[in-house]
This record gives sequence, structure tokens and C-alpha cells, in this order.
Amino acid sequence: MDITRRAFIKTAAAQSAVAAAAVLFPGISFGAWKNLDTSSGGIEWKKAPCRFCGTGCGLLVGVSLDRAVAVKGDPNCSVNKGLCCVKGYHSIQILYGNDRYRKALVRKNGELVETPIQEALDLVAEKMKETIKDHGKDAVSIYGSGQWSIPDGYAASKLFKGCIGTNNVEANARLCMASAVTGFMTSFGLDEPMGCYDDIDHADVFVTWGNNMAEMHPVLFSRMLANRKTKTHVKIIDFATRTTRTSQAADKSIIFSPQTDLAVANAICHEIIRNKWVNEDFVEKHVSFRKGKTNIGYGTEDHFKFTDKEETADFREYKAFLQDYTPEKVEKISGVPAKDIKYMAALYGDPDKKVTSFWCMGMNQHTRGTWINNLVYNIHLLVGKISTPGNSPFSLTGQPSACGTVREVGTLTHKLPHGVVANETARKLAAEIWQVPVENIDPKPSYHTVEMFRALDRGDIRFMWIQVTNPMVTMPNLKRYRKGAQKQGRFIVLSEIYPTPTSDIADVILPSALWVEREGFFGNSERRTQHNEQMVPPPGDAMCNTWQLIEVARRLGYEKQFPWIREAYIEDIWNEYIQFHDNPKHRMASYKELKARSGVQWPFVDGMETKWRFNPEYDPAAKGDGFDFYGKPDHKARIWIRPYEPAAEFPDNEYPLWLNTGRILEHWHTGSMTRRVPILHKSAPASYVEINPDDAGALGVTNGSRVKVSSRRGSVVMTASINGRGLPPKGMVFVPFFDENHLINEVTLDAFCPISKQPDYKKCAVRLERA
Amino acid sequence: MGESDRKLGKLFLVFAAICIIALPFIVFSAISYEPDEMKVTVIAPQSRAFDENGDAVFQDYDRIAKEYLQGTSTERTLSEYYLRREYAGSPPYIPHKLEDESETEIDCLTCHAKGGWTEELERNTPLTPHPEHASCEQCHVKMTTEALFAANDWLSLPPPRLGRSYLPGAPSPIPHDLQMRGDCIACHVGPGTVTAIRVEHPSRGNCRQCHVPDLFDEPFKRK
Repeated sequence: MDITRRAFIKTAAAQSAVAAAAVLFPGISFGAWKNLDTSSGGIEWKKAPCRFCGTGCGLLVGVSLDRAVAVKGDPNCSVNKGLCCVKGYHSIQILYGNDRYRKALVRKNGELVETPIQEALDLVAEKMKETIKDHGKDAVSIYGSGQWSIPDGYAASKLFKGCIGTNNVEANARLCMASAVTGFMTSFGLDEPMGCYDDIDHADVFVTWGNNMAEMHPVLFSRMLANRKTKTHVKIIDFATRTTRTSQAADKSIIFSPQTDLAVANAICHEIIRNKWVNEDFVEKHVSFRKGKTNIGYGTEDHFKFTDKEETADFREYKAFLQDYTPEKVEKISGVPAKDIKYMAALYGDPDKKVTSFWCMGMNQHTRGTWINNLVYNIHLLVGKISTPGNSPFSLTGQPSACGTVREVGTLTHKLPHGVVANETARKLAAEIWQVPVENIDPKPSYHTVEMFRALDRGDIRFMWIQVTNPMVTMPNLKRYRKGAQKQGRFIVLSEIYPTPTSDIADVILPSALWVEREGFFGNSERRTQHNEQMVPPPGDAMCNTWQLIEVARRLGYEKQFPWIREAYIEDIWNEYIQFHDNPKHRMASYKELKARSGVQWPFVDGMETKWRFNPEYDPAAKGDGFDFYGKPDHKARIWIRPYEPAAEFPDNEYPLWLNTGRILEHWHTGSMTRRVPILHKSAPASYVEINPDDAGALGVTNGSRVKVSSRRGSVVMTASINGRGLPPKGMVFVPFFDENHLINEVTLDAFCPISKQPDYKKCAVRLERA
Repeated sequence: MGESDRKLGKLFLVFAAICIIALPFIVFSAISYEPDEMKVTVIAPQSRAFDENGDAVFQDYDRIAKEYLQGTSTERTLSEYYLRREYAGSPPYIPHKLEDESETEIDCLTCHAKGGWTEELERNTPLTPHPEHASCEQCHVKMTTEALFAANDWLSLPPPRLGRSYLPGAPSPIPHDLQMRGDCIACHVGPGTVTAIRVEHPSRGNCRQCHVPDLFDEPFKRK
């Protein structure tokens, strides 16, 4: 207390001295920051995609004397048109945290010891060789990230899948976008949105499905608000499980009970059919009906396996299926009044309204994530509101390059840069471009992320290289996976920039060059690839992740596959990589083009970007009249019959509340970067549990008091937030996951969507106690 | 009571000492006016396209009462202005209490779009230069603590200096970027503005007839 007061008085004194001087000498101004010596001559502005979310804002980074000193929005970037959010404006401060890793560290007798980086890389290669010799190639693995730059993921896939011959390649995008991918693949046969952000300027109605855009994609959200302001008829409907800033700005907030979005989506379709709002011509020409397995499980047990069985259905069968989903019946399951369901159906069904649906983690982190993605596509397909400006089912991405590096490069166990490992043609193409024998590429996928960490726990995996992600904060049911990683005989290599809880389980830490300290590419939510040059030098021995992989690959004897020189490797990798996508459905821009422009959207054919796929008016790969869903052999999109099934775990007498988790505006993921940005930390210094005032009252908890949140897996004690930024309904609590000192993922459940294998961080059962 | 008096006394001593030590430096730097040195602090180059919201100046000029335009106060200083920022041009944090911590739009603009005296804070409200952006808390956040999670070795350029006229008595050029800050009236006119940068002639409505952006370091050269 005393220290705080003294610190306060000191600051106040300093400030008043400065203020007094400023009054005396108005020509002199003082900043709150330390000044760089400016004899260098001003600022040079260079373009880069933002380091944080999947929106992919264009930034201009001001560089002076090899330091990044200021940020402004890139007015030439059509994503954000010169506007950023608070994270973007302060993003460059992530480079300068005092505890940056500058040297490689190797664990010796339990302590991390500074080691020359070349020696650390020798050790990594040696350990990999030894593990492969003793336990086989499937005992080594790499776990990467949707924040990987594209060349990082490409080098990782080439090394592990092409050279070593194991499919143990996964990325944290499995935890954030896998259901979006399987949703796209099952409904359209091709991944990533058909529309683009321009849809925001054209739509008349926006429906946000479990998606707090005001905090998670703020720049797109304010573009939506700007559209509503200029066209007074525009409506925003927030369909969510909790009241957020997005609900407050929306014209209507509709709250549903967790997991029942499945039932409501079906009820909307029921209403559209009942009212004859179906676009019969569109459905007739461009849609075919499918059904799959039901009662598909939750994957909470080891070695869980599931393969869906796709069967043909028809419109009649689909209509019969929907009889169980009348608005009145669904009201009972979902808590959404039938009139609100009818209202949403009327908006989707109105032929004069262009409708854009947005979603992100609410629908993807869902034990029926693939299904709910399918069901929202069903709505858009029934009314034919797709692939035209403003009519857009839009799956937003969480991470800056989940699309670019994970989905497009295919850094997932079953994927290759083009196609899947199970497909012989795809394996042949990869082997040819990678210059490896085709037998090297294993046709059988190995472990998805959750199962990979289970395999590490069991001992099936012995070596794991983790890059650009912090799984010891983000894995659900965290305690099990931390214990597993710490077991004897496990070797963990971590490429990182700051100490995190994942550092605590690492045997080797390789210091990484971050963002604009190296050249690279990101790919955002709207199929846009963005290049950044290296603007400032990395600190100490810090090395680009791609180059770390190249160094190790060469030590393993793959000089032929990794021949690049330091001056041009990013460009060379890009030129090699885009051979995989050299067809009109996915052609990417050249290195030169990307360097010159503030991002380019693929398919990039004959110098033209494709804004709306599957529509011959905009997409050169689409043929014929109207629409061409060329991802499927019959050129038709799919309407899927998918029922409502309950969540893996739901409140009961012992654990009577739902736990929902997520992000907040100020912090990016686990906060390892944003917590080192002064203003972001000062604004949101610690995590908290949002409690409904009724629940808080019943428990006798007031705002700011300490509360213990526990589940069958673990517990965390934290501060209660009542009537704060978000308001969960009665029976639910919400906890942001950014805070490593309050590990909410020790409480969450590792149940996942059996099709996408993406865990559900939004639903498990907890109880609250006063602490 | 005596304890706190002693503390206050000490504080005054420290303050006086700081003033005395700082004075020669301040005076020296104020006198040693070097146009070349000034030039390097210009935040440049910038895009001229971002003068595109120039009509905001005219709209505000029409909209705002003469009395407001001529209003003055000394409550806001340039140092205070920069103490709320991480570099010249970054969005400032919210320095005051919020009624409802979760507000998203409109509420901020009820005061910051029109300015004027606020009873609760006993200050004049500064105007936003970009009222067209309604999702204020996307960029402006409230601080809830002073402590850091980890220290940061942050450096930036000094803010632009004032009084940078090229000739004695000539209008000074615009030393900052116009992106998001193209509405001169919001920051340079009225009682809510910073004393040091308030113009003395608020009755004139076409600022950029005299004040032009100082964009480039390089002097003109014939090809």
C-alpha cells in the first residue's frame, strides 16, 4: 500500500514538473515514452499485415534507426482502409519486452542454460535422429500454429511429411478452425469462404452466430457499424449465448442455450420452407442433399476413431426431418422464443434482403462444429443467398495465418499443400515438387492435436517441436497434457520469443525472430495473402522459424530438399510452394506482386483477384449460368441433414453451471505478446470470471470478490466480474483464457467434434464457490 | 498529519530541484533553434490521400457555435496530451471513469462529438477528430492498473516540436499525420483543446489555406 502511494506521488511529482515546464516553455513537448536518438532522419513507413487476429489489417510500421517506433493503418489495404484496433496500434511494442529470448536455452539438470544457437540446433537434430532410431519415425512430431508465417509451415510440412515420412504435423489452428474446414469440405468440397469483406458494405442484414465481433474482429465490426450508419435500414442480429459488446451494438440480441444453435438453425430452415421462401430454382440447379451418421460421440477417450458415412438424401426426406424442428418445439430446447426464430427466418427468407452471417469460435469450438457449419450453409443455400455481394455465409478466422499457413499449406496430419495424404495423386504431386520418393509420404494420417498430446502422454510420441504457440495454456483438460509432456523420456523443443508456461516443459528453447524481424507471408480470412519484409533486426541470436527448420533439416541430411540461401530463401520457398496451387481454383500471386501490393486475394488468375468464388461473374474457374460449385464432382453444394445432439457435458446437480471461455479485445490468445504491451496489460491486467447477477446473488458473491471455479478436471481461483464487460445468462459463467496465472483450461473438457477433431472450449459443467 | 506535511515539504524541495536542474536545458534547447534539426522530427512521408476527410473542418466550422470556437482554458497541457499516448499519433487511453464499462458506441460520442463543460469531471471535453468511427473502445481502452506484466524497452521518436514556421511570423506547417486527425477544429480550437496548440484565430474556417502538411525532407531538385 505504502509503495503504491509513494510510486503514485513520485509519478504525480514528475508529471507536474513536466507540466510546469511545458507551461513555461510551450515550444517544448514531452512524451510519456523514452526518445530514440533522431539524428538518423525521420521515419520510414513499411507495410505488414497485423500480427494478431485473422482479419488481416494492413499496417504501416514506422521504422527509424532499426527500431519500430509507430504504427498507422494502411490506407491502401482494402481490409481496414487505414483503421486499426488498439492491439494493432500498439502491436510493435511486442518486439521490445525486456524478457525477450535472445539466446538459445538448453535444459541441464533441470535448469535452462544459455547455449550457442548452433549447438542447440545440433542437439535438436541429434535428438530427432536418436528418437527415430529408437522409436520409429512416428515418434517425432511438430506442433505449429496459425501464427506461423507461410514459409514456416511449408518448411515444417516438407521436412516431416516429405523427408522424415511422418504425418505427425499439426498446428493450433486445429483448436480454432478445424470445424470451419470440415464444414466447407462437406458442404462445398473446397476450403475457405466464397465471399470477402466487401460483403460488409453490401449486406442489408447481419447475423452474428456466437461471435463477439466487437472485441474479436473489431475492425470488421466497425465497418459493419459504418454500413448501418449510412444505410438506415441495415439490421444487425446478435445470436449468442452471452450478452457482449456485440449484442449491445446490435439491433436485436437473441440468447440461446449452449449447443442448441443446431436446433435453431434447423428451425429457421423449417420456417423458410413452411413460408415458401425457398429459392426453388437455385436449389433445383445447385444443391443436392446428404445425410451422415448420428450419435457420433465426443472423443473424450484415447484412440477415439470416427469416420462419417455420406449418404444421398432428397428434399422430401429433408422436409420430413425438419418436422421435429418447428419453432415451438425448438423454443423448448433452446430458450429462444418461437417469434425470434420466425423473425430470423423472415430476414433470411426475404428475397429483397442481402444477408451475411458471421461466425468464428462459437460455431467452430463445438462438439458438433462441422454440423453447425453445415446447418448455417443450409440456410443460405435454401434461399440462394451465397456467392454474391452481400449474400455471404462468412466463417471468420481467429489467427492471422490459420488460412494462409495451416489450411492452405496443409499443416495438419491428413493434409498436404494440395490435397490429402490419402490421395495418391496428391502424394505424387508433393513428392515431385519436394524431390522426395513418393513412398516417403505416408498415406495414413496419424494424430490430430488432442490425440497427439495424448500420444505424448502415452509415450507413442517421444519428441515434439513446438513453434509459435503456447499449448501449456491452450490445451483443454490441461493438467493431463502438462503431466504427459513432463514425463521421463519426452523431449520438447520450443521456438519462442518470451517465457511462457510452455517454456517450463521445454528441453530446448530456440529464440525466434518475430513478425517484422523476418520476411514472411500471412493469409487472412478472405483468401488474402499479405507479404512483409524484414524491417528491423531480431534481438541477439533470435532466428526466423523457417531458418531454424532449414538448419535442422540439413543436419538430418536433407540438404538437397533445403538448398536455399539466407538472402533469398523466403522468395525461393514461395516460388516452390505456389506450384502446388497452380490451377485456376487456387492460383496465388507472384512474390513480386505480393511485395508491391497490400495483399492479394486468391484465386489470382490473369492478374485478377477473385472476390466471390463459385459465381461466374467474378470467378474465372466457375462456368455456366448462375453458380458453379466446382468443389464437388457434380458441381452442386450440399444441404446436410444434421440433427441436434446435446453437449458432451452439461450442468447437473454437482456442477450446476455452464463454463464458456474466450478472448477479450486487449489480449491476443495467451497474452504472451499483448501482456508485454504496457497499455494492453494496464487495461486488462488479469483474467476474471463473469457471473450473472442472479447467480452471484444466490452465492453471496459481489463484484471483485474471489471465487473458485471448479470442474471434474480442475479448478482456478479468480476475481468475480458482475455487470462488467459481458453478461452471461443465468446458469453460465465466462472466463477469458489469456491469463497464464489463472489457467482456465485446467477446468475445460477435451471433448471434440468427431469429424473435425476440434475441441469445444465453450461448454462444460462447473460449480462456483466463494474463495 | 506532521508526517504528511514533511513529505509534502520534501516533495516541494525535489520539485524545486528538478526545476532548477532542468531550467538550463530547457532554456538552451529553446534558444538553439535549428531548422535542420527540426526537420528530422517530422513524421513523414505521409499520404496526401488522407486529407480526404477535409470537409470535416468545414462541417465543424459551420456546426459549432462562435462562442465555442473562441473558448479557452488552460486545463489541458501538451505533456498531459502525450502522457496518454505511447507514441505521437497512437490512440490515447481513456483517462476518466466510465458510467457503464461495456459501452460500445454512442455514449462516448454524446460528449466527445460536441465538446463543452462536464460537471462530473469539472473540465472541458475534448472533441474527437473522427466522430464517424462509432466503436470507440476498439482503440481507446481504460487503464485499470499502473503495474506492468513485464518491463518493456520501448522507444519512439520525440513528438513534433511547435513553432516550426519557416519564416518569422509565417503560419506553421502541419507537423503530424492527417490520417484520423484531419479535422483541425477538433484539436486546435475551443476550450477542450491543449493550450499550446490552440490557434489564436478560431474565426477563420479554412485552416489549410495557410497551414500545409510538412511532408518531405528532400529539397526540390531539377531532374
